[in-house]
Amino acid sequence: MTKPTSASGAAKRAPGAGAPPRRGRRVDPIARGIWPFALPAVVVTAVLVLAPIAYTIWLSVSDRQADGTNAGFLGFANYTEMFADSEFWNALKVTVFLFAVCLIVETLLGLALGYVMSLDVPGRRIFQGMMLIPAITASVAVGLVWLLIMDPSLGAANQILAKVGVDPVVWLGDPDIAPWSIALVDIWQWTPFMALIIAAGIRSLPEEPFEAAAIDGASGWRTAWNVGLPLLRPVLTVAMLLRTVDLVRFFDTIYIMTQGGPVNATNTLNVYGYNTGFVDNEPSYAATLQIALLVLVVLIAGVFTWFRQRAAR
Amino acid sequence: MRYKVLSAGLALALAGGLAACGGGSDSGGDANEISLVMSNHPWQKAIEPLLSEFEQASGVKVKVQTFAEQQARDKISLNLQSRSSSMDVFMTLPSREGLQFAKAGYYAPLDDYMTKSTEYDAADFPAAVKTGMTVQEKTVAAPINVEGVVLYYRTDLFQQYGIQPPKTLDELPTVAAAIKEKSGGKVTPIALRGQSAALPFTFGPFLHSQGLEWTKEDGTPAFDDPAAADVINRYATLAKDFGPPGVVNNTFTQSSALFAAGNAAMELESSNEIGSINDPKTSKVVGKIGVLDFPAGSAGSKSTVLNWGIAISSYSKNKDAAWKFVEWATGKATQLKLTSNGIAPPRTSVAQDKTYTDTLNTETLKQWNEALANVQENGSTEVGPVGVSAPEMRKVVGDAVGKVILGQADAPAAAKEIQDGLTPLLAKNG
Repeated sequence: MTKPTSASGAAKRAPGAGAPPRRGRRVDPIARGIWPFALPAVVVTAVLVLAPIAYTIWLSVSDRQADGTNAGFLGFANYTEMFADSEFWNALKVTVFLFAVCLIVETLLGLALGYVMSLDVPGRRIFQGMMLIPAITASVAVGLVWLLIMDPSLGAANQILAKVGVDPVVWLGDPDIAPWSIALVDIWQWTPFMALIIAAGIRSLPEEPFEAAAIDGASGWRTAWNVGLPLLRPVLTVAMLLRTVDLVRFFDTIYIMTQGGPVNATNTLNVYGYNTGFVDNEPSYAATLQIALLVLVVLIAGVFTWFRQRAAR
Repeated sequence: MRYKVLSAGLALALAGGLAACGGGSDSGGDANEISLVMSNHPWQKAIEPLLSEFEQASGVKVKVQTFAEQQARDKISLNLQSRSSSMDVFMTLPSREGLQFAKAGYYAPLDDYMTKSTEYDAADFPAAVKTGMTVQEKTVAAPINVEGVVLYYRTDLFQQYGIQPPKTLDELPTVAAAIKEKSGGKVTPIALRGQSAALPFTFGPFLHSQGLEWTKEDGTPAFDDPAAADVINRYATLAKDFGPPGVVNNTFTQSSALFAAGNAAMELESSNEIGSINDPKTSKVVGKIGVLDFPAGSAGSKSTVLNWGIAISSYSKNKDAAWKFVEWATGKATQLKLTSNGIAPPRTSVAQDKTYTDTLNTETLKQWNEALANVQENGSTEVGPVGVSAPEMRKVVGDAVGKVILGQADAPAAAKEIQDGLTPLLAKNG
């Protein structure tokens, strides 16, 4: 058995005796001419992602005028202005508030709804399809419809409340209520999306740990908390990360419904940056605000990734 | 080796193709096509059905893009900031963005076109209208309408409650209080603006009618005058105590929706709104509308007068075709046709044309026309503080007054906030 093997091995090796082993070359795509196929992706990423970021950074440290000319390098003047700008801190507060409230409520409701949707009940698929409708509707349309619903005098929301004897609510015109109203719309729109991801996650969980927990006599709650949730964590983190990125750059619904008002109560960083750039015509300061937003997204995403890696270990 | 070169070539071709897609979309179209960007506005609704007439007569094709007011501003700004030639003509409010746009070189001056045209007759526009379209001694836009703040009221409700419509600013809160009381709180006494960027248009008349201005002679803000705090207090009290719920988010859309639905006894709005509140298709109160001059203050009734214009982008590659459109759209014949859709004509000859005056045949329209005449005669053209940062300054005013409406600040504090907020923005005017 050994002899023919070694003989054929020697025969194969003979022509390239001095060359490096083939295995090493096979995984090297450059040597096989594969790299050019990665080039479009690299170019597209560079042109559409890295170049705009680099340009935004340049804008934030220079003085671009409304007519398209640039008065040159400014240093960190825009950043100094930003840290002294009370509206920046308010926008940061509003952004973090909406992010926290929406993420927590959407995750909790998503878990509950996702559990229901993971059960094998008749009509589950139809229900799942219907649940997706808010998420696939354009946010602009969602904002416009909710704007009508939340009109304090003519809207459906207050008319329904009046029928059950509740005083009319000034949904968007009261700075204390408006952020919650915006959060309500986002929760309505995106909870089903969370639930769908979570339901898919629950259905893919292995059954053995649950059977083991049942044999050990664990209660339903205990099984869910100590077995289900830890197993579901990877799926949950991904779903939360997706929502996080969207929530930190919250823009469309707010822009349609309140444009950051009343008196800046719903002025998120993204809305503020947009208004600074396109209404006030201050592109450089707007770029500075967008860089702050980018840092915020990266920080929060970093925290999530860190949690995920820690959990994986 | 051969397929290595081949794959590299293929990949480069792909990348090159993508880059070409990204860079080549900014063509200006052919010389006989213009792109027109409009804001959702009665004028836009009235002109669109007439565009085919222009296309047939001139041979120039018009590509239309229409957006809600704020979105239209964004779209126009974006086109101009990126020096795009894909927009030739756009609607503009010189009183708002005139200086900002002119300084940035966004407007193609129209003076030469106007003087060269034999039929145009630019002298037909009243002096105040022409001044409104002129920035730094250049005509930046051609006027398409005239509008100003008037007070609409429900004749049936006032009769039912036995109340006389308010003639002065002092009477206004008294009348509002009487409506509130006699309707048992069921009818909103007055619908008015509260949204910060939109508020200065209706707030200005309070200021001017009390003999105040936005700024002093030396170009600094005039809100350190104690009388300014009194004006803020008048506006905010009216909005807070007698306005609709959620008034701080309201602009003409919400105010007119309330009034047209029969939920408000008075509406302080632009004369333009007659189109929507007096239209049987959208309004329940047709035939029950009275129109008054803005209530007089200590300095008389001084409303705000406003002209929208259409301008040619300085980045347009088809300026001659664009002018043909502007010439047609703001010419006598077209403006006369537009009056049948409630567009108040900026041209003197059209305003006096019998074909037009004969259409003002209801009591509501007669009163409306009188109020509009007063607006044009006595109104201030300064919708907000004038300057390169006009949009931002309007927000400063609107935010501060909004805080008083919400009870977050008192009027003197708001006046100080406006004074402090406007000072650096006005300083940019140089």
